[in-house]
Amino acid sequence: MSTRAEKQGIITWFRRNWAEHPLFSTAFALVVMILSQTLALGFDFPTFGRWLSTWCQNWINILRNNANIGVIALGMTFVIISGGIELAVGSTLVAIGAVVMVAIDTSGKGWFLSWGLTGVPAYFLAIILGLAVGFVLGELTGLLITKGKIPPFIATLGTMKICRSVTQQFMQGYNPVVPKGFLKIASTEIGGQMVMPIIYWLILAWILNLVAKHTAFGRHVYAVGSNERAAKLSGINVQRVKRLVYMLIGVLVAVSSILQVSRIGAMDYANAGSGYEMDAIAAVIVGGTSMSGGRGTIGGTVLGVLIIAVMNNLLNLLGVPPFLREAFKGIIVICAVLLQKKEKN
Amino acid sequence: MRVDMHSISKSFGSNLVLRQVDFSVQGGEIHALLGENGAGKSTLMNILGGVIPRDNGEILLDDKPVVFTTPAESLHSGIAFIHQELNLVNDLTIYENLFLGRELKKRGSLLDTEAMIKQTQDVFDQMGLHLDPCMLVGDLDASYKQIVEISRAMIEHASIIIMDEPTTSLTETEIQRVFALMRSLQQQGVGIVFISHKLREVLEICSRYSVLRDGVLVANGPVTPELTTAQLAYHMVGHTVRAINLQRNERHEEVALRLDHLTDGLQFRDISLAVHCGEILGVTGLLGDGRSELFQSVFGFGAPYQGQVTLKGKPIHCHSTWDAIAHGIAYVPRNRKENGIIKDLDILENGSIVILKHLTRHGLINQKKELDTFSELVKELSIKLGRVTDSITSLSGGNQQKVVLAKWLASNPSVLILDNPTQGVDVGAKEEIYDIILKLAEHGVAVIVLSSEAQEIIRVCSRAVVMFHGAIMGEVTGEAMTEHAIMRLATGEEQGASS
Repeated sequence: MSTRAEKQGIITWFRRNWAEHPLFSTAFALVVMILSQTLALGFDFPTFGRWLSTWCQNWINILRNNANIGVIALGMTFVIISGGIELAVGSTLVAIGAVVMVAIDTSGKGWFLSWGLTGVPAYFLAIILGLAVGFVLGELTGLLITKGKIPPFIATLGTMKICRSVTQQFMQGYNPVVPKGFLKIASTEIGGQMVMPIIYWLILAWILNLVAKHTAFGRHVYAVGSNERAAKLSGINVQRVKRLVYMLIGVLVAVSSILQVSRIGAMDYANAGSGYEMDAIAAVIVGGTSMSGGRGTIGGTVLGVLIIAVMNNLLNLLGVPPFLREAFKGIIVICAVLLQKKEKN
Repeated sequence: MRVDMHSISKSFGSNLVLRQVDFSVQGGEIHALLGENGAGKSTLMNILGGVIPRDNGEILLDDKPVVFTTPAESLHSGIAFIHQELNLVNDLTIYENLFLGRELKKRGSLLDTEAMIKQTQDVFDQMGLHLDPCMLVGDLDASYKQIVEISRAMIEHASIIIMDEPTTSLTETEIQRVFALMRSLQQQGVGIVFISHKLREVLEICSRYSVLRDGVLVANGPVTPELTTAQLAYHMVGHTVRAINLQRNERHEEVALRLDHLTDGLQFRDISLAVHCGEILGVTGLLGDGRSELFQSVFGFGAPYQGQVTLKGKPIHCHSTWDAIAHGIAYVPRNRKENGIIKDLDILENGSIVILKHLTRHGLINQKKELDTFSELVKELSIKLGRVTDSITSLSGGNQQKVVLAKWLASNPSVLILDNPTQGVDVGAKEEIYDIILKLAEHGVAVIVLSSEAQEIIRVCSRAVVMFHGAIMGEVTGEAMTEHAIMRLATGEEQGASS
């Protein structure tokens, strides 16, 4: 009898949370994913220690491989909450990467080298330069959208085409050499593991969660995305908020770009970052952010990134052919939106 | 053709909106249907137009009883309804609009463009219009759009046309253009039902009138040269018992807000008025009077204006809403759902949105201060709510409006502009909002109440400015502030002494 009552209690607790907490279903999906992934990894190991270390290693790989998208998805969350969209992230990533690499190139044509600037000051300046380029590109996008009154989808579709094409043209036949020291930014190992990208990502997530929840700017982003007219009538500088949102994602793309350059030491200008915009949007949507703006959380986006990442890993472990994996990503996105609480009108 | 409606009744829930109303219109006459907002005019015409069903009574078409269940059926019988909000597609040409949904075809599926243009041209010739059927509707001015709507009725061979406030958004010359067309239709034997608030226009063009008040037909008869607008206004308002008014006459000497010759060139022109500290000024008028646009411009939200705004002796010009807030001006907008509440923010977040910057320390919102500030206002305005983190949409209309009011009171404004403050608010909450307004004035706040309800203005304001088509028609105060007086000014009938 008592077990039955307990069971009932668990079911009601589960139902209530599912209905009330927007992230409960997302977190639940992640737990299911992790369990299946653990099962797929199998238990065919000589010792428990060996199993645990494999499991952890697998997780570190997942997190590191998705930190780049994760950082961009944080910015995308703000953009989508504000009622906008940013399609150019993959292309601006390439453009920023190119600028950074040309700056620190040690093959002879690099800017900093020609000024006699090398070592840590050069790396530091390169980071500042990268962030500044991201900031300026974001500001330009913001201006197109606010002053130019171009819908975000179209404005960023335009910048997406421009950035990649111009980068490819200028970088033809030029392969900058990234100095070893610069690689330390992302490749510094802690306990024999390359975990720096993960740390950057999680620190940024923590800061941006604070920004979203506890600053006037964060509150204004939600207000603008929910009801632009009412926000403006409440004294919110709607255009400024929108511009700041695109600047923020610009800077975050720059972070992602610098991490990528310092991890790989090279960049394929034609293909690097392609599809990032859709992956970031998918993570944000799976994380419970409303495409129509006004609702969403940074925490949800982190969960969203993890769900897609763990699913990829799971498919890999199960030996699903690579061509089919994108289909599963599509299914996850559709299911996530189907499951999310529909707004009552 | 002749239409007779006999003892039509209609109720929505327990609310009886039409009580055994008789109404008739016949070919060759223009019949005015008058009444205040909510008197039942639109309901009656919607029944005739087949938009909503009647509860009781019968409709006779040339003495044969008919039942219309859809607008199409009514149109098919020759009754066309031109709604106040025109149903035209701006990106299509005139003839495409006229044949929208019933395009002429040739050889089964291809559009017969030539035939449609020709038929349109024929109708225009018949009505004596010089319009190119291939013009884009978006390029036409408001009166011609109205005329295109009428042409659509004509192309359907309508013999009765219902026009719901057709002149509201038109200028004087445009109105004359529409009237000329109406007269020519009248001579061709078309019957027109003319719904309007503008009594002078009724006297000018109509041959008969009917007045509805609270769902009852209170007066009807022919429009004779002896008939005056005063008589019509009297029928519309009736002997309503005047509610206890709350207005007070004390006001401070200091002028809080003064507008001098404000003009935006479109919605309002040459507006001059002044509000004292501690005064409640009413600004009223009918649809299209420009009062909302005027004060939105003052608040930095609407169109740019020419003229001078003076706040407590200091000339100001607000280019944005945050400018206005910094100057201590607050504007509670009309249409709460679209302009007032932000539905994805919770109650507390809605309540603190205006003053968020003042609640921030070291970049972070001081949550305790935010909650304390709001809780005080919740108590002061007696807002009924569960938790402050509940959704704003979980509150009743009255409490939502109080939250919107609270977010502005938090900014301690010296001038408070309230646009339709009791829209969609039940009677009890209405009284509470009036009390709040009075209390604010006692504390020296200059309050401006924009409202189309004359009763509301009489209730709380000590002085009222009446607008008509973007201009101030006059000012009423004290004993002279009656519904009749306001109605006569609001219909552009009489120009009072402007302040």
